[in-house]
Amino acid sequence: MARYILTRLLQAVFVLWAAFTVSFILLQALPGDEILIKFENPDLGLSKQQIADIRLAYGADVPLHQQYLFSLGRVLSGQLGNSIQRGVPVIDAIAANLPSTLRLTVLGFVTAASLALVIAFLATLTPFAFLRSLLRGLPSLFISLPVFWLGIVLIQVFSFQLKLIPVIGAGPWEGLVLPVLALAVPISAPLAQVLVRSIDEVETQGFVAVARAKGASRRWVLWRHVFRNAVPPTLTIGGVLFGELLAGAVVTETVFGLNGLGRLTEQAVNLQDAAILQAIVLIAALGFVLVNLSVDLVMPILDPRLRKAFGGAS
Amino acid sequence: MSDGLRTPAPSRRAFLAGTASLATSVALGSGVGAVQAQGTAPVTGGRLVYLEQQAHTNLYPPAGGFYPNGGVLNQITDKLTYQNPKTLKIEPWLAESWSFNADRTEYVFKLRKGVTFSDGTPLDAAAVAKNFDVYGKGSKELRHPVSEVINNYAGSEVVDPLTVRFRFSKPSPGFLQGTSVIGSGIVSPATLDRRFDELGDATKIIGSGPFVVASEQLGRELVLAARKDYAWAPASSANQGRPYLDEIRYIVTGEDSVRIGALLAGQADVIRQVQAYDEAQVEKAGYRIYAPSTRGVNNSVVFRPDNPLVADIRVRRALLHATNAKEIVESLFSEHYPQATSVIASTAQGYVNLSDKLTFDPAKAQALLDEAGWKPGRNGVRQRGAQELALTAYESLPQPQNRATLQLIAQQWARVGVKLTVLAGDSGSRATDDLDPLKTPVSPAMVGRADPDVIKSQYHWENRDMLRQKPGRGKVNEFVDAKLNELLEAIAAEVNEEKRLDYVVQVQTYLLDQAYVIPIFEEPQAFAAAPYVQGLGFEAVGRPSFYNTWLAKR
Repeated sequence: MARYILTRLLQAVFVLWAAFTVSFILLQALPGDEILIKFENPDLGLSKQQIADIRLAYGADVPLHQQYLFSLGRVLSGQLGNSIQRGVPVIDAIAANLPSTLRLTVLGFVTAASLALVIAFLATLTPFAFLRSLLRGLPSLFISLPVFWLGIVLIQVFSFQLKLIPVIGAGPWEGLVLPVLALAVPISAPLAQVLVRSIDEVETQGFVAVARAKGASRRWVLWRHVFRNAVPPTLTIGGVLFGELLAGAVVTETVFGLNGLGRLTEQAVNLQDAAILQAIVLIAALGFVLVNLSVDLVMPILDPRLRKAFGGAS
Repeated sequence: MSDGLRTPAPSRRAFLAGTASLATSVALGSGVGAVQAQGTAPVTGGRLVYLEQQAHTNLYPPAGGFYPNGGVLNQITDKLTYQNPKTLKIEPWLAESWSFNADRTEYVFKLRKGVTFSDGTPLDAAAVAKNFDVYGKGSKELRHPVSEVINNYAGSEVVDPLTVRFRFSKPSPGFLQGTSVIGSGIVSPATLDRRFDELGDATKIIGSGPFVVASEQLGRELVLAARKDYAWAPASSANQGRPYLDEIRYIVTGEDSVRIGALLAGQADVIRQVQAYDEAQVEKAGYRIYAPSTRGVNNSVVFRPDNPLVADIRVRRALLHATNAKEIVESLFSEHYPQATSVIASTAQGYVNLSDKLTFDPAKAQALLDEAGWKPGRNGVRQRGAQELALTAYESLPQPQNRATLQLIAQQWARVGVKLTVLAGDSGSRATDDLDPLKTPVSPAMVGRADPDVIKSQYHWENRDMLRQKPGRGKVNEFVDAKLNELLEAIAAEVNEEKRLDYVVQVQTYLLDQAYVIPIFEEPQAFAAAPYVQGLGFEAVGRPSFYNTWLAKR
């Protein structure tokens, strides 16, 4: 087990380095750079000579490998620098945005998972066939709702018409209700779909019939046997959906005017804000690594068959 | 004060009375300036919620041209002089009086006594000298860029604690007005000791304005608190003491429909950037639209004549006459967006009505294109030999409905056989391609500033260089217009105000005769406010001023 974790940690370091390097290369491949975007902006009205001086001062035209080594060295020494575009330390920009994104995405994911569970159970247990197929149709509907549209509709109805929750000046938790909902609905769809399908699949297996034959109630069998076996594929999808959650957060944050990593990323990409982008890439890569690592570690607990894989090591 | 300097402020008589009165009538007519409810005294106290479309970026004052930046800086900094938005005259503010020599290479300002920055340090001659030294020369070490409005700056001298002298290497008649703009807001020396890339944190910007940054949530929210000891407003301001409001909350809300909805639902008091198509629902609900003019170079499309496709004046003139600005204004905008009648706004200094040069005449356009050798070709696009008359333009995000405007122009040009492709593009591609006339033969353009210098700044190769001339920015092969540059330089250097404005007239005429520019409309900044918001003011180019603002009973 310890060796397994060590291997995974080494892999994580490699993933972080690769993410940093690839993002550096991609940024270079984009036309223009942040100095050009910031200082050629007509709002500043700088002359050609003044811009040339600024490029020199920022070292914007030194060879690429030097720039790469410089920024890698800076990250390794734990410094993230300042954003030229925003004029603030990168660490401040991240600190102002990370917590709210974490709140939004964690709550969004929990809500999405609960929603998926409810849909899956109802879709399996509801007595009438037409109701069941209606519930099975819900995920397809949910996944086709664009987040920005759903967000605007939720705001218009619940905030502007019914005046239940303010969008502007709401408390930190109160203000999250609508965004979390807008984010959770489309995310819940693939979760519910996979869960419903794996419940169906597991239900056809022999051991379920045996349990039922022994006199267990349908609900008990579903909870004790079917569900436990249906969860692993859903968990895998859940890990992958983490990325989608961040993408959904971009839109949700924009519509609801929340600050967050999503919006920060979108703006940083557009403005080629290298310092902020590299920090975000590292954080996102770290998040992916941690989420997938924990999925892999939880799996064996749920599925004894997988425990054998590192039985010898532990 | 040194010999040869004239006192007191001669600037007051220098401005053309005609321009000033015209500006006044237009300003009042469009509801600009402070509006007070009749017969009620202002109420002190309360909090105003202001919704911004975009977060501010770097708050180094010369970067105040970006509207979200200017909207913040205008509350927290004061300037040496005050340009009265109604008369456009320069009035005393932090400077009690000023004088300058005959060739405008030396200016002396006497400062008001007792002004302090919000950190308690005095706003004295040394502080003012430091501000303009940085704005005029930039700072290599701290990476502060030079201010666009300060040209030919040579240096400063602290004469006594309340007197400062500025020297210029060439005549700089635009400097006096330059001291009144957002970009010349005075900040404490401590602020300017910080590196440029630290000035995006609003709490680090220490000014002497009526409001102080109390707290900031980066990119989302800014809380400004009233400065209770504020007592140095310009003399023409109704309020002379502390601001009426206790607090202003700036909240960044990017989505148009959410800003409007929040305003109408009572969750916000004032919002910026109201699209023309949303004005009706705001007014129907009894709320007010404010559309102060930006008083500069009109919202236009400009040509890059270095591109062979538009190098021929006949092609440019054809496109000018193929453009139906009236249709654009009527179908996309509202009464707050007057159709352009010249290169600069009718509220700008030196404006001359040139609408007879801007006629919509498709038949003339066709004839000019025929004459230039562009014959109708496949798919309705004109051709000369194997070459198609196909142009490209990037949309400009800060300009109102710019994509729709360009697309409508594309439709109008298509009717005379010219193809215009409108690109969105990321900032990097836009900034890179914009420097290359071969990639962007056509570009949208506008700039706001209430001084004749604005037109020089927009078109001279040393400044914004919108036409892309040879020694200026961009990858230009040969295009340069010596006559235009000469006229523009004359605007910047002419010390006789009357002659200076005459050069402005000549430049407008020349730009349209050469068909370098197609002016579309006079661009306002559109705000909406709840009916109980009183005394909402705007400085000369449309940035909000909340100093005189108060909240009546709802």
